[in-house]
Amino acid sequence: MSVFRRNKSRRTKQGKNKSISVPKQNSTWPKILGVSAVILLPYAYLLMKIDGEFKRSILMNGAFSFVGFCITLSMIPVASRYLIRRNLFGFDLNKKGTPQGNIKVPESLGIVVGIVFLIVVIVFLGVSMLLPHLNFIANSTRLVQYNSALTSIGFMILLGFVDDVLDVPWRVKLVLPLVAALPLLMAYNGHTAIVIPKPLIPYVGLEMLDLGWMYKLYMCLLAVFCTNAINIHAGINGLEVGQTVVIAFAILIHNIMRIGASTDNAEYQQAHLFSIHLVQPLFATSLALLSYNWYPSSVFVGDTYTYFAGMTIAVVGILGHYSEILLLFFAPQVVNFIVSLPQLAGIIPCPRHRLPRFDPNTRLLMGTHDGTLVNCCLRWLGSMSEPSLCIVLLSLQCMTCPSPQAIACSFSFLVWWLLVGWYK
Amino acid sequence: MTSRRRAPSANGAKIPASKQTLIDNPPKQSSSEEPNITISPSKWSKIIFLSSLLLLPYAYLLLIHLQIDGELKRSILINAAMSFIGFLLTLKLIPVASRYVIRRNLFGYDINKKGTSQGNIKVPESLGIVVGIVFLLVAILFQHFNFTADSIWLVEYNAALASICFMILLGFVDDVLDVPWRVKLVLPSFAALPLLMAYAGHTTIVIPKPLIPYVGLEVLDLGWIYKLYMGLLAVFCTNSINIHAGINGLEVGQTVVVASGILIHNVMQIGASTDNPEYQQAHAFSIYLVQPLFATSLALLSYNWYPSSVFVGDTYTYFAGMTMAVVGILGHYSETLLIFFAPQVVNFLLSLPQLAGIIPCPRHRLPKFDPKTGLLTGTKDGTLVNYSLRIFGSMSEQSLCIVLLFLQAIACGFCFLLRWLLAGWYK
Repeated sequence: MSVFRRNKSRRTKQGKNKSISVPKQNSTWPKILGVSAVILLPYAYLLMKIDGEFKRSILMNGAFSFVGFCITLSMIPVASRYLIRRNLFGFDLNKKGTPQGNIKVPESLGIVVGIVFLIVVIVFLGVSMLLPHLNFIANSTRLVQYNSALTSIGFMILLGFVDDVLDVPWRVKLVLPLVAALPLLMAYNGHTAIVIPKPLIPYVGLEMLDLGWMYKLYMCLLAVFCTNAINIHAGINGLEVGQTVVIAFAILIHNIMRIGASTDNAEYQQAHLFSIHLVQPLFATSLALLSYNWYPSSVFVGDTYTYFAGMTIAVVGILGHYSEILLLFFAPQVVNFIVSLPQLAGIIPCPRHRLPRFDPNTRLLMGTHDGTLVNCCLRWLGSMSEPSLCIVLLSLQCMTCPSPQAIACSFSFLVWWLLVGWYK
Repeated sequence: MTSRRRAPSANGAKIPASKQTLIDNPPKQSSSEEPNITISPSKWSKIIFLSSLLLLPYAYLLLIHLQIDGELKRSILINAAMSFIGFLLTLKLIPVASRYVIRRNLFGYDINKKGTSQGNIKVPESLGIVVGIVFLLVAILFQHFNFTADSIWLVEYNAALASICFMILLGFVDDVLDVPWRVKLVLPSFAALPLLMAYAGHTTIVIPKPLIPYVGLEVLDLGWIYKLYMGLLAVFCTNSINIHAGINGLEVGQTVVVASGILIHNVMQIGASTDNPEYQQAHAFSIYLVQPLFATSLALLSYNWYPSSVFVGDTYTYFAGMTMAVVGILGHYSETLLIFFAPQVVNFLLSLPQLAGIIPCPRHRLPKFDPKTGLLTGTKDGTLVNYSLRIFGSMSEQSLCIVLLFLQAIACGFCFLLRWLLAGWYK
């Protein structure tokens, strides 16, 4: 869990009073914006084919999300000053030995993303309730879902920030997402039955199996898994936010395609629309954070961000009724978790940091024997620089999306790779 | 309203001392860590005494005097049991959290003990976060046990939780990062939005009978103005508790007193409207949120009462203010709530000249402490605390707190009297 991310924590090198002034935050937002515009092309195309009412709602949400992007972009440097002043910073261990390794990098910028996200969603809900022709929230069941989603996500942001500030023990960290997911469970009024895959029907004897409370348990565990999985697949500049952006994009494509494909099932469409209403702001605010967090990171995201992102994704997966597909999008995180199990369980000794080793002379990262996807990639593909590693890992993330998305994702990513340049 | 720069912060402005320390000397971490950070044990016996005093009328009304429907009573009692567990949990977690909080340099020095040996103790700040998290836990879990829930109720309940959760988040971020006061004024409005959207009630007000000839209507539909009023109420409640502060035990104490007033009001209204189930539901809703508030606040008060072992931070005052605004709005009794808040209103009015900048506003508006006599003397600052000291003479901090809480209780009592007197005349 995040104890293994403490490589970038404030407790690495304190005490020596280096009189370093607050570094200027450089954002790469023009690049990010340009690249995301390209990535969003398939999404925009699919969106245009959707029915009028839904399209208007999605576009309005898109506009709010863009405003959220701009606000986050301008707030991050402001928040960074406050964070550094309160000693919430760390030093970048993957640059140790170079001059960049001595810069104080502000931590926990996820709080900015979280607060802007909540405000965007709240204001969007308020406005769509005021405008009758866009009123999708008329149904009180829907409103319960929105509010319980807000409570769960808000609670998770709170717990994430408390963890960043107070550094709670990891056992507590495992349990917290469970607690934050409870409002969700109360609001989930869908079926708790699963469809048995056709080949297994003769063995099970049923076509549909009602899991009841076990399904609710599964939802809880999903929330715990999503939040912590992003947290341990981390440590490289831009990895946490990058993976969230890729997954969010895959989710958006999936939602849009489902809306287009189920014009006969209004309930189903509504569920996916709900998901879009939450994932677009997530995507937009995360992009703003990525502008600062991409290599070389000017800010660190903190557990606040990884918990917030994980919970939001779990929420939309659960309330949108597509949690199984979501797990598919999370394939690299699942692999990373499985690979990490021996160390997390204590069977193999687990060092404080499980990061790759950085060589200041060649500026390349080398894989250690720790059980993380990051290290495994480095061992298979050879040493490479940090941004290249991040791009490789994100491409891996893209490829795990099912077919049409994979092509869309991979194509977009190829474009991104070419535009961003091949760092050495 | 409140600001770190101008008004005393919720804990008697002890934050500036520690913040200065932080800015000048970044903390040395693992090398010189205190091995055992413990705080004084809780003064729970005193608190049990106080709470029995406050709860006795409520319990009497709930269980004996009023005839309340069985289902409803059961829900209320289940909520009370869960709140009690919340009380125990908070009591247990506060010392644990204090260690973490001090380790991260979130502490202050008690300015009202400056010059004595107690003025050098590091007092952990922002323990409101423990109260907030336990409150959310109890409130979220209670949803599962409330069998009489319908979908409207669920919408309002979830909106309430979302608003309160957002407010706790903002309060904690403020405690850690010390956001500018302008931001502090605006953000509660965002936190109140889910509330405004979930408010499914009428936006009309009943014109008091004597005024009907002048207004020409019996009932006036305010529409969006009413929603604006609700938003402002939320902003007011959160900030007014924040500025009526600075004495050990004052912030939590005033919340506890107002909460017990609210509970009595709710239970009386439930008893009085057996023919109007919707009205009953609104007040029951309020009880479901105020009981956990009361219980967890009591646990905090056990540590925060004079002499304070912990400080509550803006986290607590924002959380408490928002919770009370939420129940007042969704329970449809915001006018009653404002009368309960009379001391806070008076304090706000007294503070206006300084907050508006007309009279110069010092960083702290606390009374002056004399280490030799141990008494507080009122300064010329415009706060209820100072005014009370000037009217009643110098007194010790504990006595002052008791006096102020007594004032709060009188305001609540006055409200009940007023309602009783005006029952036929007003509505």
